[in-house]
Order: sequence, then C-alpha cells, then structure tokens
Amino acid sequence: MRVQAIDHVALLPLYLAAGTAALALFSGRFAKACMMIGLSAAAIAAVGVAAGPDRATFAVGPWHSYVADDAAMGAAALFAGLSVLVAAVSGRQPGEYWFLLAISAAGGITLAGARDLITLIVALETLTVPLYVLVTKPGRDGAEAGVTFLIASIASSATALMGAAFLYAAAGTVHLAGLATGLGSADPALTAAGAALLLGGFAFKLAAAPLHAWAPLVLERAPLPIATYLASASKLGGAIAIIWVVYFGLAADAGASTGTVVAALSVASIVIGNLGALVQRRTVPLLAWSGIAHAGYVLAPLAVVATAVGRDDAAEAASAALAYAVFFVLLEAGAFAALTAVRPETRASLADVERHTPLAGLQSGGPQGSDLKASAENATVHVSGVGEGGAIGELAGLWRSAPLPASVFLFSVIGLAGLPPALAGTFAKVVILEVLASSAVWLAVIVAAGAVLGLAYYLPLARTVLIGRGPATAKGRFAIALAAIGLALLAVTLAPQLVLDFTAVSR
Amino acid sequence: VELMLLVAVAVPFFGAVLVWAWRDKAFAHWIGVGAAGLSLAAVALLPIGRGDGNWVSTGGHLSGGWWHQLEYEWAPAIHLDFALAVDGISWPLAVLTALLGLLCCLHNALGAEGRISSAPLQVPAATVATGGPSLAADDVSGVPGESATGVPGGVAGAGGAGEGAAPGEPGSAGASGAALGVSGSVAGAGSARPSALLTALLLAVQFASTLVFFADNLILFFVAFEAVLLPMWAIIHRYGDPAARRHAAAKFALFTVGGSLVMATGLFVAVADTGTADLGAIIVGGGVSQGASLLVFTLLAIGFAVKAPLWPLHSWLPDAHTAAPTVGSVLLAGVLLKLGTYGLIRVAGGLAPQGAADAAPVLAVLAALGILVAGLVCLSLPELKRLIAYSSVGHMGFVVLAFASGTEAGIRAALFGNLAHGLITPLLFFLAGALKARTHTGLLGSLGGLRLAAPQLAGLLGFAALASLGLPGLAGFWGEAFTVYAATERGGAWLALAAAAAFGAFLAAAYLLRMLRRVSHGPVAPATDGISDTSTVELVVWAPLVAGTLLLGLMPGPLLDLFGEGLL
Repeated sequence: MRVQAIDHVALLPLYLAAGTAALALFSGRFAKACMMIGLSAAAIAAVGVAAGPDRATFAVGPWHSYVADDAAMGAAALFAGLSVLVAAVSGRQPGEYWFLLAISAAGGITLAGARDLITLIVALETLTVPLYVLVTKPGRDGAEAGVTFLIASIASSATALMGAAFLYAAAGTVHLAGLATGLGSADPALTAAGAALLLGGFAFKLAAAPLHAWAPLVLERAPLPIATYLASASKLGGAIAIIWVVYFGLAADAGASTGTVVAALSVASIVIGNLGALVQRRTVPLLAWSGIAHAGYVLAPLAVVATAVGRDDAAEAASAALAYAVFFVLLEAGAFAALTAVRPETRASLADVERHTPLAGLQSGGPQGSDLKASAENATVHVSGVGEGGAIGELAGLWRSAPLPASVFLFSVIGLAGLPPALAGTFAKVVILEVLASSAVWLAVIVAAGAVLGLAYYLPLARTVLIGRGPATAKGRFAIALAAIGLALLAVTLAPQLVLDFTAVSR
Repeated sequence: VELMLLVAVAVPFFGAVLVWAWRDKAFAHWIGVGAAGLSLAAVALLPIGRGDGNWVSTGGHLSGGWWHQLEYEWAPAIHLDFALAVDGISWPLAVLTALLGLLCCLHNALGAEGRISSAPLQVPAATVATGGPSLAADDVSGVPGESATGVPGGVAGAGGAGEGAAPGEPGSAGASGAALGVSGSVAGAGSARPSALLTALLLAVQFASTLVFFADNLILFFVAFEAVLLPMWAIIHRYGDPAARRHAAAKFALFTVGGSLVMATGLFVAVADTGTADLGAIIVGGGVSQGASLLVFTLLAIGFAVKAPLWPLHSWLPDAHTAAPTVGSVLLAGVLLKLGTYGLIRVAGGLAPQGAADAAPVLAVLAALGILVAGLVCLSLPELKRLIAYSSVGHMGFVVLAFASGTEAGIRAALFGNLAHGLITPLLFFLAGALKARTHTGLLGSLGGLRLAAPQLAGLLGFAALASLGLPGLAGFWGEAFTVYAATERGGAWLALAAAAAFGAFLAAAYLLRMLRRVSHGPVAPATDGISDTSTVELVVWAPLVAGTLLLGLMPGPLLDLFGEGLL
C-alpha cells in the first residue's frame, strides 16, 4: 500500500496553531505575545488558504477526512481570531493559560476542516478539554464550575460517541460523505437513534437544550475572558460540528429523523432559553440563557431537512445556520469582551491568587492559607453574588463612564435582539427566516415569537447601560481589543456579504 | 434627479448623526431643522422628470413605472439590494413624512412648548416642589445659549427627567415617578427647549420611515421597518409622560417587533416563492403564486395590522400616544401608522392580490368593528390625547375597509384617507400638546371655556375637530365618504359594513363635538383661566397642516390622479 501524500498547505493553519501552543508552553513571560502572534498568523494562513483553490487531504477512496474549503478556512480564521480576542482581554496570566487557550484554538481549527466522525469528535474534545482547567478558578465557585463543566462535557461526549457508533454500525463508515450515501439501506431505527444521540451530544457544546443547564452556571462562575471564549469560539465549535454532521452526513439519507431531532432541539432551546433569560437579574446569566435561545435559532434552519423540499435546499439551510452562528458568536464575543473590560478584576488570574495567598493566610491567622481561605478572603472583594459579571444594575450609567466598552456592549446587545442599527443581528435573523419561510413557516413563527420575547430582556439591559443612573465608576480596559471587535462588528454590519460569502457551504 | 432619492433618505440620517454629535451645542437644533428642510426640498423635487407610469421592458429589466429608481448591490446572498424607487403612491407619503419631520424639528428648535406662559396657579406650586426659582420668566426670551440641559436640579428639561428613571429599582419607581411627575410638568413650561437628542431621534425616525416608503426591495423594506422601532421607543421612553412612559414604550416595542417579524416571515415566503426581492418586479408580475397567496397575505396583513393599527391589535396605540411627547405623537400618528397602511396597500396587496381578495371579508369586518369600537370608546374617554389616539383607530379602520373593498374607488379612498389622517391628526396632537403645556391637564372634566380664554387656540381646535369628523370641504371628508361609497358599490353584505362605517362617522361627529363642548365651551375652568393664546411660533408650525387640510379638502383631484398612476 502506497503512503499517500499529505497536503501540508491545507494543514498550515493547524500547524501554526499547534506550534504556537507548544511555543507558548516554553516561552515564559513572552507566552502571551507568542500566542497572539502565532494565532494571528494561523488566521492569516487560513484566509490565504481559503483564497486559493479548495484543498482536501487524508483521503480514503473519494472521501476526505480533512477539507480546507472556504467555509472551513473561514471558520478556522474565526476560531483563531476569537482566541486572539480572548487573549487580548485576559490580562496577566501564567504560561499554561496561553498554552491551553492555543490548544483549544487548534482544536477549533481541526474541527472546521474535519469531515469524518472520529476527527470531528477528537477535534471537539481538543477544543473542550483545555477548558476544564481554564473555567476553574481557585475556590468553591470555581470548583463548582469546573466540576459541572467536566461532568456535562463527559456525559455529552459519551452520548456523541455512542451515536457515532450507531451510525458506524448502520452505514459501515465514519466518513460524513460515506454516511451521505451509505445510510439509505440502513435500519432506520438505528440511524435515527444514532443521529439523535450524536446531535444531542454535540448540542452540549452549543448549549442547546436539553444539555444546556451547564451554560449559565459555568459562564457565571468562570473568569470573564474564559466566559467570552465559551460563549463565542466554543459555541461556534458546537454549531459547526452539528452543521457539518447534518449537512455533509445525515441530510441526504436520514433527513427525516435528523430534521425531527434538530427541530425538537431548536424549539426546546428557543422556549427554554428565552423563558430562562426573562427572569435573570445578573448580566452573565442573562446572556447565557439568551445564548441558549440563540443556539435554537442556529439549529432552526437545519430542521428543514426533515421535509423533501428542505432537503433540496439543504445547502442553503446549512449556509444559513453557519451564517447565523458566525453573526451570533461575533455579537456574543462583543458583549462578553465589553463586559470583561468594564468589570473589576477580582481574582481572574491564577497568578494573582498565588500572590495573595500568603497575605490571606497571614490575615486569617492560620498557617499557610489554602485556596479555600484565599477565596473566602477574596470573596469580600465581590460586589455581590458569585460571578464577575455582576448584576445588571451595576452596569447603570456605563455609557457615561466608559463610552467605548458601553457602545460595543450596546451594539452587541441590540444586535442580539436583532434590531437596526445593529444590522449584523438583523441580517442574521433575515438569513434564517428566509430559509424557514420557504419550507417551515411554523418554525419561522416560533423564531419570530422567540425574538419578541428576547426584546423583553434585551431592551431593559440596553436601557440600563444607556440611561441608568448609577455610580458609573467603571473604567474601560483593553481599548485596542474592544476597538478591534467593534470594528469587526461594524464591518459585518455594513458589508454582510463578507460573512455570507464564506459561510456558503457546498459539498 | 435620481440622486434626489438618495439625498431625501441620507440627509435625515446624517442630520441625526450630526445633531447627536453636537447635542450640547445651541445650534444643534438648527442643524436638525436644516436637515429636515433639505430633505423636504429633495422630496419636493422628485416629480421633476417623472415617467408616465407605464412599464417598459428593456433587456429583461422593467422600468418606467417608477418615477425614478436607483439600485446598489448590498448583500445578494440574502436578496438584499439598496434599491430605492418612488411613484405616485409613495411620493405623497414621503412629502408628508418630510413635512412632519420639519415641523417637529422646528417645534423643538423654537421651543414652542417652552415659550408659553402657563396658568398662574400652576407656577408657584411647581416651583416649590422642585425647590428652584421660577424659570419661566428667564426662558421666555429663548436665548440660544440657554439649553435645557444646562439647568441644574430636577428641572433640567425632558432630558434630565429621562435620566432620572433609573431602571432596576422597582421599589423606588413609584416614588421617583411621582417626583418626576412634577418636574416633568415643569419641563414643559420651565425650560426653553427640549434636548437636542430628541431632534436627533426624530430625524432617525424620519430617515427610517422615508426609507420604508422608498424601498424597492423587500429585505430593505423589512430592515427599514425595523429601524423605525428603536428611535421611536427611545422617544417615548425618554421624553414621554413620566407616569406611563415605561409601560407604554415596552408595549409599543413588543407589539411592533412581533408584528414586523410576522410581516418578515410573509415577505420571505414571497421571496422564496418568486425568487426575487424586487418589489416592483413582483407586483408587475402579478404577485406570488396562487398557492402561497393567502398565506403571504395573512402573514403580511397581521404584521401591518399591528402597525396600522387594526382592531383588535390596536391596544398599544392609545398607551403609546398618550405617553409620548407632542412631537412623538405627531410622528406616530402622521408617519408610523402610515407605514402600516402603506405596507398593507402596496406590499401586502401588491404581493398577494389573490390572497387580498380572499381575505377581504375578514379584513373588512375587523375594520368595521374597529370603527364602531373606536367610536364608542371615544364617547366615554376622559382624556384629550387618549381620545385623539383612539380616534386614529377609527380613521385607520376606514382606510382598511376602503382597501378591503378592492374597487378602484376604494383603493383611492384608502390612500386619500390615509394622507388626510396624516395631516389632521398631527394637527390635533400639536393642539392637544399646546393645550396640555398651558393647563397641565388633559382631562376633559377639568378643561372648559377655552373659547373665552384663548380664542385662536379654540378656533384651531374646532377646525381640526371638524376636519377630523369629515366635514365636506376639508381633507377628512373625501376619504371617508368614498369608503362608504366603495363598500356600498360591492353590494350584498358589504351594505351592512357600509352602514356600520357610516354610523361610525356619525359616532366620530358625536365624540368630537362632545370634546369641543367640554374644552371650548362652557364657563372658564380654573385650569384654563389666564392661559395665553397661540404664539406666532406655534402658528408658523401649524400653518402648513391647516393649509394642507384645506387644500386637500377643496382640491382632491390632483392627488387622486397621482394615486391613479401609482403602481399597485
């Protein structure tokens, strides 16, 4: 058997990201700079590869395991870019932090190109595993977040693997292209069970119902930069995994069952997310719950593959879902980055806590202070509640004290509500409604109803930032990072075609 | 001249941005007036060089039916083009929008509500409540440098009152609301001018509305339709009546977004069915296919019925109108409601003529019920602005009924009634605002004797009320008379609807005359005692509306001809 040639150009973004991770581990105090430069290079390389012809490698017969087409490379560039943004709003952190973040980004880049179930699941795990460490701040709350995330993640991985096993049993292959042709003669019950388990497991990453409950809890307790990553890059990973599996693998021969599963996930997410968000009084949980609803909107266009008309337009449905996911994660990244910039840094970094620990031990009169004591000491620093995000009321008057973060935050929130002048959100809604209107009007009406409910919590949030009367002491940080994400949002608002071009997926 | 389309749309937008950027400067108001004036001039120039209204197909591209059109590609993947066009149906509405925008900006810039001297009884009370000196005397001169935001304390005009409403404190909302109630009423009399921010928001509404009327692309239409929402929400929420504005603003936003998303679904079904989002091309092509027609029309009609508003989806309107500041009410009545009826007639009727014909009976019955309900409710309403707001529901009922009849006369009656309402009701709201600024009350029970206290104001109020109830010779007459005529023309069960509409017109006469009797006649009430009559500034702002009402009433012909050559 001949050893096949590997297309190293197609893998260039991945090489760069992985190399960056390795470099960051050993470069000490320059780790942050290394990581940001390396991932920026990976993003540029991805754009460069996308500009050339479509590439594919690791072939088994006509099926490829890794494809570097426009959609994959656009998503890869977005993963790298979002990781750089998260790094830029992270402040001082120890070297491992940058290593883990870069590994996660490398997982995302692999995920974007993955075209078989094993690569997809391994990539998704590579994206997720570093986050087990990153979400865990020292102390009780951090441990709670870490354990919750770990358990939910492992449960969903097991579910997804079981689903993948079923599909392999049904079709005899794990290549998505193989599933597309091999499921026609398979046992429909086995296929349906496999699709349901696989998609249900992936839905965890996207924080779609029914595996959504970790999101508000973990996002609230994680450090804000990591919450930014979880809400943007990590969710993009979940969305891409589902879109790839549905479009490249399941739509053709298992459309009916897949569509039904996706429709159920979508409707449940829209209902649960919006109702959950309505009662939130704290900023991060509100964004987290509304993110669950948005996960439902991402899935909604994919549900049209349940119908014959929809299967003919599966490419448009997948493109719409991907486009919505991209607009959505950009807006989420904007909102969370702005929030990170204006919230006081309580003990975001491991290094800080290590520095503080002896002091805490001294003050509490005990021996060398444990992490638990340190957290008890630092807990008094918190204004209220557990998370760094704080209550919505604490954002009052932000518009006057920190105009740049406030305007990015406002733009993102209004965009998430889908209203002009933040047209990025409006276009996202237009994209999915256009697909739904042609083959699933009932789902379009549910999406519309969800968006109306969304207004009921987004508008008060925007109002608080804009005209609330508060202490208004918050000073913005990370001005360059915020300007960058703000400009990115402005760019996709004025020229949505930028996003729509690369999200147009095709086989 | 094509570029005039772009100018008419772009100038209010950049005006809004500039006014916002220089909101603390005294000349910000005049930038707003300039932008609105420029926009009106641009719109007024549009009939120059217009085509004859006949469509010609050149190279597979239809043209000629629009007076002018221009088109830039924006995001072809979602069928979005920046395509503008104008014809005999959208032009009068654009003129109305630009005119009302200009008048509202003038109203702000001249501080029309700030210059009047209020009833003597009220000034000391308000001064004591706020602990400051009476500002009324200082500001009558209207010194340009003395902007409202410079005044310290809780009296800092509408802008200060808006900032006072700290959200997220439900416990203190009641108390602060009560305190603001006082300072809010002082703001009307005490400060010379409202914040320039209000002017910026007005221009933003004007920009988005003009874009809706000119949009020749369904996606652009939807985006513009949505863009109206936030500025209007902000106007109601920040500058509205302190007691009711939060509730009213939230209700307005939720109703409107719900309606516009349902409408959007309908638009996208139409786009998917025809494969294009070019409004003109779809209308000329006869609309969507037979099977989708009723679905498209139902979705669109529900969306537009919220905006219009059609009974029973009207309940946001009285709250929003009552809570909104005068200029907000004027734009709501004169422009925003027109978006609904324009959409219903042009877009819903144009995209799905078959569905419109099928759904016409339902629409007509709802419209007739709306006319009757509005008339009966108005008979018992105790508050002036709320009464005018509810009367809008009745007037819009006439428009929808005329549209539903589907006849040539009916469509023209609908368009004419639409435009007439856009002149008369804003005038009524200006007058009600002036009256409330003087007397600090809108309750019919505590008003009276305006005829003696302020004869000019009473005269204008009488004129506007008579126009609104459809006195022949004034603008309100033609639309309503021809509505009844068009419904009668259909015969059969439509006769009953015609009778209901006629009875509704009678009810309108009854409640408007009741309103006049309570406000203008009778002995002078304490609230109206000693108030000043109309100022020159107010007369300048109101004159175009009065003139327009007379002109349309006496010479309806040219406008009806204009509608006739429009694209439907």
